[in-house]
Amino acid sequence: MFLFFLLQFDWQKFRPENLFGGQILERTPAGLSIIYLIGIAVLVGFLFISFLDNFKRSKLNFENNLPNEVRKKLTQTLANRSLRLWQIVFILLAFTVFGFQVYWTYYADDSNEQFQALNYKDLRNRRASAASLRGWMLDRSGNLGSSLAYYRVDQKGDIQRTFALEKEMAHLLGTERGTPGLERSIYKKQVEPMPEAWEILTRIKKPEDEQKDVKVTIDRDLQAYLAKLLEGKKGAVVVINPQTGDLLAMYSNPSFNLSQSQKLEDYLKLQGDGRNKPLLNRATREYYVPGSTFKTFTMISAFRAGKQNQTFNSTGEGFIPFRGSRSILDANGGCEPPYGCTTLNIAQAFEASSNQYFSQMAVDLGRERIRETAALFGIAAVENPEDIYNTKFLSDIWNAGNPQIKNALAIEQSAIVTGKDISAYDIALEGMGQGYAGQMTPFQMALIVSAAGNMEGKLMKPKIEYDLKPEIYSQVLTPQQAADVRQIMSLVTEGSGGTATRVFGNVRAAGIRSGGKTGTAEKLAPLYDEKTGKLKTTKRKVKDDKGNFVEKLFPQMYERTDSWYVAIAPLEKPTLAIAVVVEGGGYGAAIAAPIAANVIMKARELGLLGEQYKPKAPAAPAPKQPAKRRSR
Amino acid sequence: MKNRTSSHFFILVLIVALTTIAHYSIHYGALIRGYETSWLTAGRNISLLGLLAVLPVFLKRFTRFQGNWTLYTSAVLLFSIGLTVQYRLFSDPEYTSRKDKAEARQEKIKTLQQHYIQENYSAKKKQMMGLPATPPSPVDLSKETPRPSNEDYSDVLFSGKTINPLLGIIGMIFALILLQRDKVLELLQKNGFLIVILTLIPLFIAAVTSRAGKSIGNMTPWEPSKIPFLIGFAAILAALYRNLARTYWGIPRAKDVVPLVFMAVLPFFPFFVLKDFGQMMVFSAVYATLYLVAVRRFSQRFVLIGSVFLLIGILVVGALPEKTQENIPLLPTLAKPVKTVLPNRIQQRFHLWLDGFNPPNPETSWWKEDYDDYYKKLVEKDPNLPQLLEEDPNLQKTVNVDAWFDILAFQPAQATFGVASGGTTGRGLGLGYPELIPVADSDYIFAALAEELGLFGGLLITFALIVFVSAGIRTAMDSRDMFSKLCAVGLAAFIGFQALVNIGGITRALPMTGITLPFVSHGGFSLITSFVMLGMLMAFSHRNAIDGLREQLAEKIQ
Repeated sequence: MFLFFLLQFDWQKFRPENLFGGQILERTPAGLSIIYLIGIAVLVGFLFISFLDNFKRSKLNFENNLPNEVRKKLTQTLANRSLRLWQIVFILLAFTVFGFQVYWTYYADDSNEQFQALNYKDLRNRRASAASLRGWMLDRSGNLGSSLAYYRVDQKGDIQRTFALEKEMAHLLGTERGTPGLERSIYKKQVEPMPEAWEILTRIKKPEDEQKDVKVTIDRDLQAYLAKLLEGKKGAVVVINPQTGDLLAMYSNPSFNLSQSQKLEDYLKLQGDGRNKPLLNRATREYYVPGSTFKTFTMISAFRAGKQNQTFNSTGEGFIPFRGSRSILDANGGCEPPYGCTTLNIAQAFEASSNQYFSQMAVDLGRERIRETAALFGIAAVENPEDIYNTKFLSDIWNAGNPQIKNALAIEQSAIVTGKDISAYDIALEGMGQGYAGQMTPFQMALIVSAAGNMEGKLMKPKIEYDLKPEIYSQVLTPQQAADVRQIMSLVTEGSGGTATRVFGNVRAAGIRSGGKTGTAEKLAPLYDEKTGKLKTTKRKVKDDKGNFVEKLFPQMYERTDSWYVAIAPLEKPTLAIAVVVEGGGYGAAIAAPIAANVIMKARELGLLGEQYKPKAPAAPAPKQPAKRRSR
Repeated sequence: MKNRTSSHFFILVLIVALTTIAHYSIHYGALIRGYETSWLTAGRNISLLGLLAVLPVFLKRFTRFQGNWTLYTSAVLLFSIGLTVQYRLFSDPEYTSRKDKAEARQEKIKTLQQHYIQENYSAKKKQMMGLPATPPSPVDLSKETPRPSNEDYSDVLFSGKTINPLLGIIGMIFALILLQRDKVLELLQKNGFLIVILTLIPLFIAAVTSRAGKSIGNMTPWEPSKIPFLIGFAAILAALYRNLARTYWGIPRAKDVVPLVFMAVLPFFPFFVLKDFGQMMVFSAVYATLYLVAVRRFSQRFVLIGSVFLLIGILVVGALPEKTQENIPLLPTLAKPVKTVLPNRIQQRFHLWLDGFNPPNPETSWWKEDYDDYYKKLVEKDPNLPQLLEEDPNLQKTVNVDAWFDILAFQPAQATFGVASGGTTGRGLGLGYPELIPVADSDYIFAALAEELGLFGGLLITFALIVFVSAGIRTAMDSRDMFSKLCAVGLAAFIGFQALVNIGGITRALPMTGITLPFVSHGGFSLITSFVMLGMLMAFSHRNAIDGLREQLAEKIQ
C-alpha cells in the first residue's frame, strides 16, 4: 500500500528545477545554494552548543579537594587563565578579520574612492556584459528585414555582430576602438547589476528583448546609394529632412570596412593612412571652404535684416570695399552671365552666383548681423582670426536620447570671424564664402539650407533616433521669408541663367521642383606622391628661437578645387536638404550638382519625397534581405 | 549537545547530504553555462565525506575513543565546504585549462548568448539569424548537449585530490592511536631537541635545492615540519618553565634563556631562505602563545609582547606607502634604512595590503623591474607609444595602472572584487565568477567561497573555526601535564592562526602570504598536516577523558 503511494506520487514535482521555478534557470542553483547555506548554518548552530559547553570551566577532579589559596597558585590554574585569555583574543581576532569582509561587501562600494575608481578593472563586469547581446539597429522602415546591425550565426556556430552596410555606414556606426560611434552609444544600456542568490530567487520577470532594439532615421537604400555615387571620389554627402531634422543618410568617402578594423594592426594601418584618411568622417569632422554655397547664408542674413530688396551694381572692375584694397571680381573675371554688368537684385544675383553682389551685401549687413545669423546655425562667430582653429565639437545641436549619442555624432564646429581686427575686404570675402568663412563642414551647410527648407523657417535639431519628437534649434526666418528664399533658390535649377539648370533637367522632367546652390572653392591641401602615397615635402630654412637658420621639412601644398552643391527638394514642402562636397571635383555644377540630382531621383523612387512624387509604375520592390556579410 | 558519538554521527550524515545538494547546485550552474561537471569527482567527494562520516563509529568501537568529538566534526565540516568550493573551481574548463582559456571562456559566453536568444528573440529574428524559427521559449537544459567533462577514472582516482585526503585520514588515525600511549609522549618530550635537528636537515636541503621561494612542483613539502618544531619547542618549554619563573632583577638566568631562544629561532632560518613569510608569521604567533601560556612572570610577558610589537612596527614602518609616510613627521627618515634592508617581496606585499588599489610610482625600486618589462612588451606591440607618452602625461598613469593590475595586483584585486561582489548570500554556487581569480583553489579559496556563498558563508567558516579552536583550548585546559597542554594549545593555535592569516590576507586585514586555509584549501602536504594535527589533538583529548575517568574511579574506590 505504502509502496503504491510512493509510485503514484509525482516525484517530478520535487525535482529542484521545478521547486524553484524552472522558467529562470539561475533559480535552481541559487535556491539550492541557499538551502546549503541554511543547512550548514543549522549544523554550525549544533556545534555552537557544544562550543558553549566547552567554554564552561569544568574543574578537574583532583582540584576539588584542594583549598582555594593553593588552587590559585597551581600552574594548572595560572596556565589555564592564560589559555582563556588567548581564546578570547582569538575569537576577537576572528571577528575582526570577518569585519573586513563586511567592509568589502557593504561599505567599500560607497566609501572607498580608489576601489570605486578602479572598479572597471573588475573582470566580472566585462564578463556579465559580454554575455548580454546588443539590440538590433533597424532603419527608418522599421522592418527586421532591413536591419542595419544585427546578429548572425556563422559557419562555426558562433554568434556574430553583423552590419548590412559595413562600409557604407562605417563612420556612423563606429569601430570598437577610438571614438565611439552609434554602435557603442545608441542602445539602451541594460543595467544588470550582478544579482545575489536571494535576489535571483525573488526576482519576478526578465527584461524583454524588443526594448533593446533601436530604430534609426537612416534610409538603408539611400545610404547604400550615396556610397555608390561617391565611389572613387573623395567627399561627403549629407541628407537631412528639414521638417523634422531626421538624418536620412550621411556618407563620407573614402570609408573603411568595419569588420576589417577590429584587429589592432588593421586599425593602426587605417589610422596611419594620412592621404586618404579613411577613418575621418568628412561630413561632420572636416573643414571645407564653402565657396558660393555660402551665399545662401548671406541671403538668409539679408532676409533677416530686411535688406532683401536691396540692389547692388556689378561692374567690370569689380567691387572695391575700401580705398586701396584689392577688388572682388566674379568667377570669370568680369560679371556673371546672363545679366552682365548691371544693377542686380538678390534673386538675379543668386541665380547667377554673383560674387560682387554678395560681397557688397555682406559689407552692408555688417559684422553684428552676420554674427547673429551664425549663432542661429550653431556656427561659432569668433573675434580673432587665430581663434578660428580653436573651435570645439558641437554636440548640443543634436536631438538625441542620451549625451553619448550626441558625443558620438558631434560635428566639428564651423567658424566664421566677425571681429574688429579684420577689414571690410575680409567681410566682403566672407559674404561669398571665401576667406575667413572657409571653415565649414558639409553637415553645417546642410543645416543652413535645411532652415530655408523648413516650412516655418526653423532650424530643426538633427536627430538619428526615429521615435524622438522633433525639436527646434532656432527660428531663423519667418515662414514667408523662408518661402521667398526657397523661391530664389529654385532659380538655380529652373532659371534660364541658373548654374545648375542643365544638370537638373531630368529632375524637372520628373515633375519635381527643387532649389539649390552650386559652389566652387579653392583650398590649400598637402600634396601626396602618386606612386608611394607619401607626403611630399620641401626643405626650407627657418629661423629658430635663437635666430639661427635651421632646415626644416614642410609639406608641399597645392590648390585643390572642391566642388559643392546644396539643395532642397521638393520645393513645395521640402523633405530633403542635401549638401554635397567632392574634393578636387572642379566646378560645382560639374560634379556635385549631378550627385545631388541623383540623390533626389533616388529619394523619389524610395518615396522619401512624399506619395505624390512616387513614380507611377514602380519597379517590383527588391526583396529586402540583409546582406550576408559578416563582421569580426 | 552532549558529546555522544551518535549525535555527531547524525551531524556528519547531514554534512554528506548537504554537500550532495551543493554538488548538484554546481552541476546545474555548470549546465547553464554549457559544460558538464564530472560525476566521478562528485562521487569521489561524497564517498570521501561518507568515509569520514562512518569513521567515528569504527574509532569508537576499536579504539574506544572517549575524547571530544567536536574537534573532529568541525574539522570535517570545514573540509566539506572546501571540497564543495574546489569542485566548483575544478569543474570549470576555463579555470582548469591552461592553454585554451580564451576558447573555454568564449564557449561559455556563447552558450549564455544562445540561451538569451532562445528566450527573448522572436521567430522572425531567429530566422534572420540563421536559426530555426521558433517563438521565444524558456530554455530546456535537458535537450542541450553540454561540453562533456574530460576527466576519466585514472585522473580522478589516482590524482592527489583523492590520495592526499586519504593519506591525511590515515595519518590522523595513526596520530590518534600513537599519541594515546604514555611511552610515545615521553619519548617525544625527552628527545625534543633531537627531533628538531632531524627535521632541520631535510628542510635545509629543500631550501637549498629549491631556488628561493619556488615551491617544489606546486607543493610545500616543508609543511609537516610544523609538528616536530612544535613538539621540540613545547618540550623545552615544559622543561624550563619553572626555571624561567625564577628571575634575578626581573631577568631569568642565561642558562635557561639561551636554549629556549635557540630552539625558538631555529625554524625561522629555513623559512627565511624559502621566503615563506606566512609560515614565519604563524610560527612567531604560535611560539608567543606557548610562551605566554607557560611563563607566568608579568615582566617577561611584557618583554616578549613588546619585542613582537617592535618587530611588526619595523616591518610596517618600512613598507608603508610613501603617501602615508609623508603625512607623519619623522617617519620617512626612520623608514629609509629599514626599506633598504627589507626584501622586495615583503615591500610588494605590504603595498598590496595597505594601498593595493593605488599603483606605486614606476620609479619605486621593487616595482621598476616589472613595470619596465610590461612597458617593453607594450612598445613591441605599438612602436608609437613612447611618442604618445611624451605628449600625454596622463597616458603614462594609465599604463602604470594597467601594468599594476595585470602583474602584481591582478590576483589580490580580483579576489577583493570577488569578495565584494558576493553580497550577503553570495551569487549562488555555480553562478559567480571565481574562476577569474588565478589559483583560487589553494591560497585564495576564501575569495571564491565569499563570492559564491557571500558574507553568510564567511561567517559560517569563522564560526566553525572558533568552535574548532575552542575545542582545542578545552583540550589544553584539561591536560594534566605541561607538555601535552603546550602541545594541544600549539596545535589549536597553528590551525587557528593559519586560518586567520589566510582569511585576513584575502580580506586585506593582514598582508597576503602564501599559506593555505587549513582543511578548506586544496593542498597536498598542508592538508595531510592538518589532518595529522587533528589526530594529535584528538589523542590529547582522549587522554584527558581517560585521566578524568581514572580519577573518578579512584575517588569512588576511596
